Amino acid sequence: MSHPPHDQKPFSAMDRRSFLRAGLGGTLFLGTVSVTAGLSGCATAPAGRLNAAETQVDDGYQFQFLTHDDIELFRALLPAIVGPALTEEPEPRRQAIAGTIERIDQGMVRFGPANQKELRKLFDLLNFGLTRVTVARVWSSWPNVTTSEADAFLERWRTSGIGLFNNGYIALTKISNVAFYGHPEHWHLSGYPGPPEWAMNALPQFNNA
Amino acid sequence: MSLTDRIAKGLEAGWKVTDASTLTDNQTHEADVVIIGTGAGGGTTAEILARAGLSVILVEEGRLYYQKDFKMDELTAYASLYQEGMSRVTKDGAIAILQGRCVGGSTTVNWTSSFRTPEPTLNYWADNFGLENLRPEAMKPWFDGREERHTVSPWLTDPNLNNDILRQGCDQLGYSWKVIPRNVKGCWNLGYCGVGCPTNAKQGALTTTIPGALDHDARLFHGLRADKLVMKQDRIDHLVASAMSADTVTPSGVKVHLKARHFVVAASAIGSPGLLLRSDIPDPHNRIGKRSFIHPVNATVARMPEKVDPFYGAPQSIYSDEFNFREGVDGPAGYKLEVPPLHPAMSSGVVPGHGAEQRDNLKQLPWMQSVIALVRDGFHPDSPGGTVSLRDDGSPVLDYPVTDYLWDGLRRAFHTMAEIQFAAGAEQVRLMHLDSPWLNSWSEARAAIDELPMELHRVRLFTAHQMGGCGMGEDPRQSVVNGFGEHHHVSNLSIHDASIFPTSIGANPQLSVYTLAARNSVRLAGKLKG
Ligand SMILES: Cc1cc2nc3c(=O)[nH]c(=O)nc-3n(C[C@H](O)[C@H](O)[C@H](O)COP(=O)(O)OP(=O)(O)OC[C@H]3O[C@@H](n4cnc5c(N)ncnc54)[C@H](O)[C@@H]3O)c2cc1C
Ligand code: SF4
Repeated sequence: MSHPPHDQKPFSAMDRRSFLRAGLGGTLFLGTVSVTAGLSGCATAPAGRLNAAETQVDDGYQFQFLTHDDIELFRALLPAIVGPALTEEPEPRRQAIAGTIERIDQGMVRFGPANQKELRKLFDLLNFGLTRVTVARVWSSWPNVTTSEADAFLERWRTSGIGLFNNGYIALTKISNVAFYGHPEHWHLSGYPGPPEWAMNALPQFNNA
Repeated sequence: MSLTDRIAKGLEAGWKVTDASTLTDNQTHEADVVIIGTGAGGGTTAEILARAGLSVILVEEGRLYYQKDFKMDELTAYASLYQEGMSRVTKDGAIAILQGRCVGGSTTVNWTSSFRTPEPTLNYWADNFGLENLRPEAMKPWFDGREERHTVSPWLTDPNLNNDILRQGCDQLGYSWKVIPRNVKGCWNLGYCGVGCPTNAKQGALTTTIPGALDHDARLFHGLRADKLVMKQDRIDHLVASAMSADTVTPSGVKVHLKARHFVVAASAIGSPGLLLRSDIPDPHNRIGKRSFIHPVNATVARMPEKVDPFYGAPQSIYSDEFNFREGVDGPAGYKLEVPPLHPAMSSGVVPGHGAEQRDNLKQLPWMQSVIALVRDGFHPDSPGGTVSLRDDGSPVLDYPVTDYLWDGLRRAFHTMAEIQFAAGAEQVRLMHLDSPWLNSWSEARAAIDELPMELHRVRLFTAHQMGGCGMGEDPRQSVVNGFGEHHHVSNLSIHDASIFPTSIGANPQLSVYTLAARNSVRLAGKLKG
């Protein structure tokens, strides 16, 4: 993933109304607004390997697409998206969330450049303070957002009459749900026993030992 | 690795297969025919031309995955086998597009349902697009041939409960239903067709025509993206292609030039019009990318009193055409009813929701049953289809407006699906719609369906069948290729994939693609040999 170009329109040229107009009139997927790396600090570089202080669990995973800010965003949203399916025990809960964010990153790497660009716009919009407040109506920065505030934000975008926001809701929840419920360690939450044991025992690709 | 695996054996025996991510130098190769895309159309074409003694180069943007890689795991499969890592959507993001990107194309991940092109569709094409040679009688021997090649026959094993509920509901209501013919040989009835068949039972391109072509000296480059066909006067001179790096999505910088006497484009709907647009292929009537169709799909899920285990067993074995052509071929939108397999990742992405509600939705997966409706688009003036265009980076994107005509069909389909599920004993039914609650009875569902807004994003829409965009027809003002897939304006260019359909099919398209590609390749081989 290359850095987003620095020649995009600065957000200061737009206000919320013109954003909505652009969104309503256009066919863009949260298009037209993208915050430059300059405005949001240097946060649009992939986070790479987080250090132990940031993750509390340094498993050496290298982030290839998500930035530090994106990771904060998902740390705030995942408790609202998949939290109720998680244990309340702090340590396993933190690990499940960290693992889900890594799988989200892995998935997004394969989305390819065009869809990554769309996601970058969405994340920048949510991470940049001014748009976070005016467009998403989330008053605190993500690390300070409570689970119920995150849930309220998701509900607003889900029930909004504006297709663009519905689309943002789907984008955020779908990737999170898939990365969470699709993970073998969470299959039990959907009562899925996994691929049939007898077939795995009989197939050569599972017997490479 | 098992020596019964055709691909593993062939690679060991010295098939000419190049993983383009390993290339370090720009290079040029030459053959009689270059084929772009290795799916239903490309594979068929390659086998027939190679067997006829022509030298063939196959170009595939995705990578070569085969039995050793097929481990019945959703997350890996979606990331590696599907276009845009399963994140492909229409331009406004409202319709999820499931499409293959690997050797074998969508046939490597498809659900093995194998239908002939419905007769009303072929006759509609003859009547409206001058395609007289494609009448059912003329096509019959070609369907026979391809059914044999891909071992197509009705699925005689009992359907899994997921499918049987569609049958039961139809029986209760007096709606017709039938058993689906499948292209399988020694199927283990596992249910993982969508993530790459782990047993090689599926007779898609990967286990039939691709090995057939490679056995006959065809060369395959995978991880190589066709960028541009370059013209010299009125013919295509060569193809410029980009090697992908090992991450599969970023070009490595290595360019491959492929020269040939003839070029067959089989990158499918979205991909083929995209390539033609990038190449500035003559298009005096602005037809490239137009009339793209998708069989828009909506869905309902039911909670059944007994365990359904919708993740196990042949994914599709029962269908109903009760509402497909009932109002005539060009009346109000018709739809085919089928059943999708439900694995956890897929289900959690398809059922919209979050939080405790989503946890409770997914907890019920073993009791869940789902019906899908595939709306037959393109047979009515109010269903002109979508348009493929290029994004800034040259990649193709489909803009697909959902017209009122289609919304009407989708709403009726919601009615039918819920009615069938309640008739089969569902405790509750939920529409795949942002606003749908779990509905407790057919009458409650009927009222809700009449009330709920039929709007983009709110109604969850999908497509696994991309068609059109390089439509065929006898009139060059209306179409891109003629009834043999030959380009109207460029004599050494043919298109052999789902992009040439002038409307949608009205049935799952793979057998239509195999069949037309076979017919058109036999003719092409004759021309090139003669
Ligand atoms: C999940 C799923 C389930 C399905 N189930 C069924 C079913 O049960 N029955 C049925 O009949 N149909 C089914 N289909 C649809 C069916 O498989 C397709 O209609 C059919 O394979 C289309 O054939 P094609 O040759 O047009 O394209 P494909 O088979 O998709 O092949 C096109 C190939 O071209 C490659 N390509 C694209 N662009 C480029 C480029 N620039 N350079 C190089 N290569 C490129 C792609 O990567 C792909 O491999 C299903 C599809 C999906 C996704
Ligand atoms: S159901 Fe049959 S064809 Fe499908 S994956 Fe299983 S063995 Fe293969």
